[in-house]
Amino acid sequence: MNAQMVIYPVIILLSSAAIMPPLNILEEKLKFKQLKLILTIFSLTLCLILLLTLHQQVSSEGHIEAFLYGFGLPFGVQIYVDEFSVYMAVIFCYLGLLVSIFSYRYMEVDTGLDKYYGLLLTLITGMVGVAFAGDLFNLYVFWELMCISSYSLVSFRKYRWEAVEAGFKYLVMSTIGSLVALYGISIIYGCFKTVNMREIAMQLTIAQTELNSSAILSLYFATGLIICGFAVTAALVPFHTWLPDAHPAAPASISAMLSGVVIKTGIYAMARVLFTVFTIVPLSTIVEVEIHPVPAVNYGFILLILGVLTITVANIMVLKQRDLKRFLAYSSIVNMGYIASGLGIAAHLLYHYSDQAYESAIIAASGAVLHILNHAVGKGLLFLSSGCIVHEAKTRDLTKVEGIGRKMPWTGVSSTIGLFHLAGVPPMAGFWSKLLIIWGGLSHPQDIFLLISTAIIIVNSIYAAGYYLWLVQRLMFSKTGSAAEKAHEAPPSMLIPIAVLALSCILLTILLPWLIPVVESSVLTLIGG
Amino acid sequence: MQELAQIQTIYMVAVVILTAIGLYCIIAKKELLKIVIGIEILTSAVNLNIMVMGLTGSGVDALAQSMAVISMTIGACVAAVALALVVNVFRHYQTTDVRKLRRLRW
Repeated sequence: MNAQMVIYPVIILLSSAAIMPPLNILEEKLKFKQLKLILTIFSLTLCLILLLTLHQQVSSEGHIEAFLYGFGLPFGVQIYVDEFSVYMAVIFCYLGLLVSIFSYRYMEVDTGLDKYYGLLLTLITGMVGVAFAGDLFNLYVFWELMCISSYSLVSFRKYRWEAVEAGFKYLVMSTIGSLVALYGISIIYGCFKTVNMREIAMQLTIAQTELNSSAILSLYFATGLIICGFAVTAALVPFHTWLPDAHPAAPASISAMLSGVVIKTGIYAMARVLFTVFTIVPLSTIVEVEIHPVPAVNYGFILLILGVLTITVANIMVLKQRDLKRFLAYSSIVNMGYIASGLGIAAHLLYHYSDQAYESAIIAASGAVLHILNHAVGKGLLFLSSGCIVHEAKTRDLTKVEGIGRKMPWTGVSSTIGLFHLAGVPPMAGFWSKLLIIWGGLSHPQDIFLLISTAIIIVNSIYAAGYYLWLVQRLMFSKTGSAAEKAHEAPPSMLIPIAVLALSCILLTILLPWLIPVVESSVLTLIGG
Repeated sequence: MQELAQIQTIYMVAVVILTAIGLYCIIAKKELLKIVIGIEILTSAVNLNIMVMGLTGSGVDALAQSMAVISMTIGACVAAVALALVVNVFRHYQTTDVRKLRRLRW
């Protein structure tokens, strides 16, 4: 692939979304209803293959950068692809592919499916674009493409009051978040007169000794605005309140997308902006010593506090829930807390101890990045299973669907695997990612703040494992509830994605020795080697 | 140079005031349409901030102008989706009073 071809995944997805409405007219003429689904699956598969070849190329030859339409700095739209962005884009497309297969039977009762598949494709386009963006404004544009698609998808079943209400709440909160992030971006633009991420980092490195107090103040202000803005989509407490409403109200396939990848995009954008832009390479007179980049702003502290707060508050809230999908939604918030605190630990270590803590910082950030993959697969699986359960039992009430696992053995066994995976039962991959985060946090025991936060994370992970296992007990072993009596196994086309995801959970565990180096080199491209 | 800094400060104060009005509108108003108007005011505030940040001695930087135009387009898309949702809320509740939308738990 040459440099101009890196944009192809985005173009393929966007053009498939654009030809969806004419395709609908063609379908009515031909009396064959599955063209839209075939096109969606085809374009996502093509995209996935392209991204996997791109990953090989990027990991062997380093990053690829391209300016679209031949415009250079400062006007050109820069696409910058490194290992971390391809890693995220592969997750987005993989889950999108399985969700579109799941939608075949799940969405058959709905009308307007051309809009559904079109919006699903623009949602994935936006996320892949956010991963590939090389400048801040480009990132914002793709970000809004993703957000607008997800507002429409959350309220897709507009004949239900719940969907409309949750959609409006999500729209208001998320729009304020995006605008706050744009405000931060405009302040960065005002300071550096460019929006290109690497350019800004270079200017910061050049100016590092001459930064006056007002420049530092505006950098801190911009950091705060960007963290708050992206934290709304990343569902960090106290910006999380849209999520427990939006997830249950959306169709199950869309909740799997939202919980699996959309909120991860929030964390990705935050990490990308913070770790790539606000980074300086310290000056050193010694030539032999390898110099590692350090954060210019103490954002690790903010991320760690937000992460720990998120884990604690969401863990308390989760036990009050008696609705299956709300339960899963709150546990998504808990897992976003783990990811944020893993990145926070890494940034904190880099800021305060720089070179001597470099290895521990890599470990903590690897844990966070691995947890992104683990949670995307595990929570995608659980939300799709909950879709099957709701499809069969027609209710989301936990007391009524007790023991449904015995009536629906395939769904039951798959969701048990997913719950074990997320609970962090030792052999599963979910355990190792949390262990890496905690390991990074315990590397400098003389730092009291880090030690206390890590202790809170440990207590919370044990507590979280408890309620995941409680959910397994309720779904699989309890006496069958009133709605579970008449349930049957879901149709095979809904079971295939669930089975694939359950298999992925097991494969992640088995392939972990090969996966860790991939994750580690992605992290190295993120925080700079 | 001194003059430019003065103009920039005046506009920045205007941005802060507009942001405050927008946020107040979203938080305090009980009418869905007024909330949408609040979002629009907030969008305008941020667009103005982009233009202020691009202010140079000889007009506004071209990069800032292009960013503001694209940002306005995105703001229009968000407003369209928001208004569509308001129409659907009205169909369900026969009102656009936000206090009637209290069926969601927290």
